[in-house]
Amino acid sequence: MADRLYGMGGVSSGKGRPGRKRYAMAIDLRRCTGCNACTAACKTHFDVPLGEWRIWVMETEVGKYPDTKRYVLPRLCNQCDDPPCIPVCPTQATFKHPDGFVLQRYNRCIGCRACMVACPYNARHLLPDHRRDKRNPRNVADKCDFCVVRVTRGLAPLCVTSCTGGALIFGDINDPESEVARTVRDNKVFTLRPELGTAPQVYYIGLNESIADPEFAFLNRSAQLRERYATFKRNSEVGGEMAGNIDESDMGFFGLVRQGLHNFGTFFAEAPKKFFRGLY
Amino acid sequence: MEGQVIANAFQNAYWGFPIALYFWLVGASAGSFVISTLGWVFGVKKYKPLALFASNTAIVALLIVPVLLIIDAGKPYRFFHLFIFAHWSAPMVWGSFLILTYPIAMGFYSFFVHKENQLWARRLGILAIVLALSTHWYTGVVMQLNPARLPNHTSVAPLLFLTGAYVSGIGLLILCLWLRNFLVTVTARVSPELMADMARLMLYGIVFDLFLLGNEFLQMTYGTGEERTILYEVLLGVFRWPYLYLEIVWGLLLPLIILVIPRTRRSLNGVLVAAFMTATGVYGMRIWWVMASQYYQGHF
Repeated sequence: MADRLYGMGGVSSGKGRPGRKRYAMAIDLRRCTGCNACTAACKTHFDVPLGEWRIWVMETEVGKYPDTKRYVLPRLCNQCDDPPCIPVCPTQATFKHPDGFVLQRYNRCIGCRACMVACPYNARHLLPDHRRDKRNPRNVADKCDFCVVRVTRGLAPLCVTSCTGGALIFGDINDPESEVARTVRDNKVFTLRPELGTAPQVYYIGLNESIADPEFAFLNRSAQLRERYATFKRNSEVGGEMAGNIDESDMGFFGLVRQGLHNFGTFFAEAPKKFFRGLY
Repeated sequence: MEGQVIANAFQNAYWGFPIALYFWLVGASAGSFVISTLGWVFGVKKYKPLALFASNTAIVALLIVPVLLIIDAGKPYRFFHLFIFAHWSAPMVWGSFLILTYPIAMGFYSFFVHKENQLWARRLGILAIVLALSTHWYTGVVMQLNPARLPNHTSVAPLLFLTGAYVSGIGLLILCLWLRNFLVTVTARVSPELMADMARLMLYGIVFDLFLLGNEFLQMTYGTGEERTILYEVLLGVFRWPYLYLEIVWGLLLPLIILVIPRTRRSLNGVLVAAFMTATGVYGMRIWWVMASQYYQGHF
């Protein structure tokens, strides 16, 4: 098990662009109740499809009964200063805004999903074809954008405004008087996976170093979560673009062949439809 | 720390079996083309008669690739964005240009081989072989340049891809030549001795592939906790069938045994079985290489 000390470096060394804002978020986990109001607000506002998330809350129970403690960890795009998703994007559809946002140009994205494979935080997803409002972007990559449209109009991101415990603090970290700058300055802050050098701009206060580790998440899934996950994987072909989804409980020889054929089947069955679901 | 994750978002694996097939096809094409150039570029005369067929096999294998990729994209009609909005730091852009130019160079090479123009066949052959190796090198790099994805993030990745390409390409070519022998006149047939000679070249690739996999195994065994966890999953866990059984045992060890025993390596049946095993076994490598890292991080 990894025993890293998360956020040893504190605030990342990058300072953003001179004379520009540098938006960042601090999440005070001591105040987070795990109510998922942020998730609901974000999902509703952006019409985030079923099974995809711009922000979500990971919940972990640590210890053995009766000495247990429950940790919650809201997760969203870290708006990294050195984001791995940008250099691998073949069409420059994703880019770093001078004010710190990592943004997505829907009209350039070809849906190759290289950015999703590159993101260490699983913060990106593909918008499916079957969206509630067909005018919304489809079949392209999407992610949390710190509610750039709201922020540029002087409003806080939706997750921040909806947070019932006041755990989410947002602002310009370059302004020493801003709440987020003071919070980050006055507290011991941690970032997710700092060893990757992505310089995340979402800072956590009171982060449990074990639960913020992919290895912990992989090895310590509850039985119910595994079952729900397998069900989700079995039912999640979205235009064949997620043909890597496998049911881990069925990976013997016949299971592998069956899943391979099934995934290929959906991939090719969906192929003709792709050419008729919107010319461009 | 003892504990369990009780609620989390479910993450998708965005690249899967079709992308693994794409990597396999590019590899098989490159490997097949290497054999094609032995006669006209490197001067091994006995390989000259099969150069045209090998080159055409490579072209056919590669022509399927853009179809797979375009179908796989969320917005197929936007494929030209790869060229007009090319982002040069993205390996996918390098690959797009390589996949575009490589079959053209092979086509010209095939033309000059058909015309028996040694000078231009050699020139085009050199160009096409550089493009062939680059095309498959880039598929390894696409996976390698994801620092968060273990075990993909290793500089061995392109070499592993190239070696896999070499052996699977030769394996595929041997099978295609064997099938071709039923359709052509006796004089145009490729002799079993030449196929056995190709199998010998494949054997060198198998040994080198095992060496690279051994290195990768060592690195992960002595690596971080994450690397050891992934190693367990690919070796004995969820991906044991593609990795251990399909790639190592079926694709490398059994063909190695067939090709080192003098009696079986000289028999046509032995060569064909080894070729089939190697060609299919490499697909196992493509599966676990593409999917294991995404599966592992699907829970975070």
